[in-house]
Amino acid sequence: MSTQPQPEHAAPSPEPGPSRVRFWMVCALILALALPLQLSVDAGLFPDVLNPYYLHLLTIIGMNIILVASLNLLNGYLGEFALGHAGFMAVGAYTAALLATKALPSAAALPPVLGTCVILVVTLGGAMLMAAGIGYLIGLVTFKTVGDYLAIITLGFNMIIVNAIQNLDFVGGPRGFTGIPKNTNFLAVAVCALLTLGLLRNLIQSSFGRVWVSIRENAIAAELMGVSIARAKNWAFTIAAAFAGLAGGLWAQNQQFITPRSFDYIKTTEILVMLYLGGMASLSGSILGVVAYTLLMELLRNLLSAFAPQLAEWRMLISPLILIIIMLTRQTGLLGNREWRWLRPRQGA
Amino acid sequence: MDTIIQQLFNAAQLGAVYALIALGYSMVYGIIRLINFAHGDIFMLGGFIGLLLTTRFGWMPFYLLLPLAMLLTALVGVAIERVAYRRLRNAQRMSVVITTLGVGIFLENLVRLTVGPETRQIPARLPSAPVVWLQQHLGAFVTWDKLLIILISLALMAILWLVVNRTLIGTAMRAVADNKDAVPLMGVNLNLVIAVTFAIGSALAAAGGIFYGQAYSIDPYMGIDLGWKAFIAAVIGGIGSIEGAVLGSFLLAGVEVITVAYLSSNLKNGIAFGLLILLLLVWPWGIMGKPTLKKV
Repeated sequence: MSTQPQPEHAAPSPEPGPSRVRFWMVCALILALALPLQLSVDAGLFPDVLNPYYLHLLTIIGMNIILVASLNLLNGYLGEFALGHAGFMAVGAYTAALLATKALPSAAALPPVLGTCVILVVTLGGAMLMAAGIGYLIGLVTFKTVGDYLAIITLGFNMIIVNAIQNLDFVGGPRGFTGIPKNTNFLAVAVCALLTLGLLRNLIQSSFGRVWVSIRENAIAAELMGVSIARAKNWAFTIAAAFAGLAGGLWAQNQQFITPRSFDYIKTTEILVMLYLGGMASLSGSILGVVAYTLLMELLRNLLSAFAPQLAEWRMLISPLILIIIMLTRQTGLLGNREWRWLRPRQGA
Repeated sequence: MDTIIQQLFNAAQLGAVYALIALGYSMVYGIIRLINFAHGDIFMLGGFIGLLLTTRFGWMPFYLLLPLAMLLTALVGVAIERVAYRRLRNAQRMSVVITTLGVGIFLENLVRLTVGPETRQIPARLPSAPVVWLQQHLGAFVTWDKLLIILISLALMAILWLVVNRTLIGTAMRAVADNKDAVPLMGVNLNLVIAVTFAIGSALAAAGGIFYGQAYSIDPYMGIDLGWKAFIAAVIGGIGSIEGAVLGSFLLAGVEVITVAYLSSNLKNGIAFGLLILLLLVWPWGIMGKPTLKKV
């Protein structure tokens, strides 16, 4: 294996026309399924088929899609190697938790559905803004470097954020933040994930976002074309951080309990595994990677606990092995640089 | 005065462990431009191999145990390079880096599942009596094991320096670091040179792991924290440079010991990483590193 084939970069040039299935149709379908699902699980209908556990899995998948797709912006489209995504997630989670517990009234004091919506919008908006602000500041520093050093610096900031939270007593310090109201449900996560995907898809295909791919392909050529590299990179970093904050805000209000340690380097690695499993520079890959990884892990957990309970913990070895095997056999991941047709923009539009 | 000398010895001990890890990072990076994120876990594995040897073969004296653990860990290091990294040598840089991340998590979980997640201490094999001379003349309370750890580490670093600068294989290593493509054309076995580099780096890390287990304690996840610290030290010193790795390690250990002694132990990691970021911004190639040119 002396000469590896170069990954098929650049746009997939002679594309077949987009399919008849459009992005909004997929969104409508998912929402049309999610709404009755959420309602019937909440009402406790069909407890045998509609186990809340499945809904919980879907919720996790939705939040992970937001995380992975936004990291793909940096690691896939921009072509940098950022290692600090969990740090921004932590910022979002703690901001949302603070807003939900300290600043806002509880959902019970407000009208039932509308109140939760308002709380969600405020907390998630705050989480995104805070994460974006911190991401912007960190990006100013980070993008003075490239390559390996950028990876180290982003990781360093992840550690610093976690360390800072551990030293803040009013958010619980190392003991964690407890008593966050449960405002997030599967429906909210589904809406946020679809919004994220739609926004990222449009951004990446816009002239604003194509600059990122041009930087990845050849930074010097892009600079000669008049691209302000520092500004474009910082935009990407800020946007990715904002979405990581969104996922964190959803996470905090779903788990109801967060600790700084759950946002350290191990979480970042988990996001990376899903990203590389799915494929770089592909939103379809991000979706597929998250779904495949989550289902595989749950399947292994169930299989092992059913047939070999003493080996149940050994599935922790599977996830790093998957990562190694992907890298050794298929470096572009399952769907690297390719998109499902419904995620592509309309030609000539 | 006496506390300052004691803190100096604490810093030197911690710095020696950092340096033993940092050297492996630095050598591998210098030769194949790879950040081996699994190196911290090799250090952890070395500590656990040392623990296994001391508990199973209690009769074994320290001067046999240390080289044996170093040898075993070196074999693991070479095996990992052979299985996971060699095929990716000409692939995109990030693919290998991600593979090293995977190998690191694999090792952590493997040790956790086989040995258990508890924090353990390697049974003391070094004398822990205070050094009388230092106590009488400087008034500092320094134990023999601390002094021995520092001295053996320095001796290992000196041996490494001799190997790299005075032997044929060391010359080959420096040549590969200089130009990886031209060296095989000169009839040098590139795979062998890289394997030897991994072996040396892993052996040094194992020594660090055993010393750390003697001085403090070991657990399956210690490789993350200490590996990162050592890596910072290597970067501060200028990654790829042996002298830089040692210098950076003692510097970082000094800063950390001062932070813990005079500020707060909670701020230790934050200050270490802050120092890294600050230094990288004003001094991107470290104290002793060579700048690389950006080519069109």
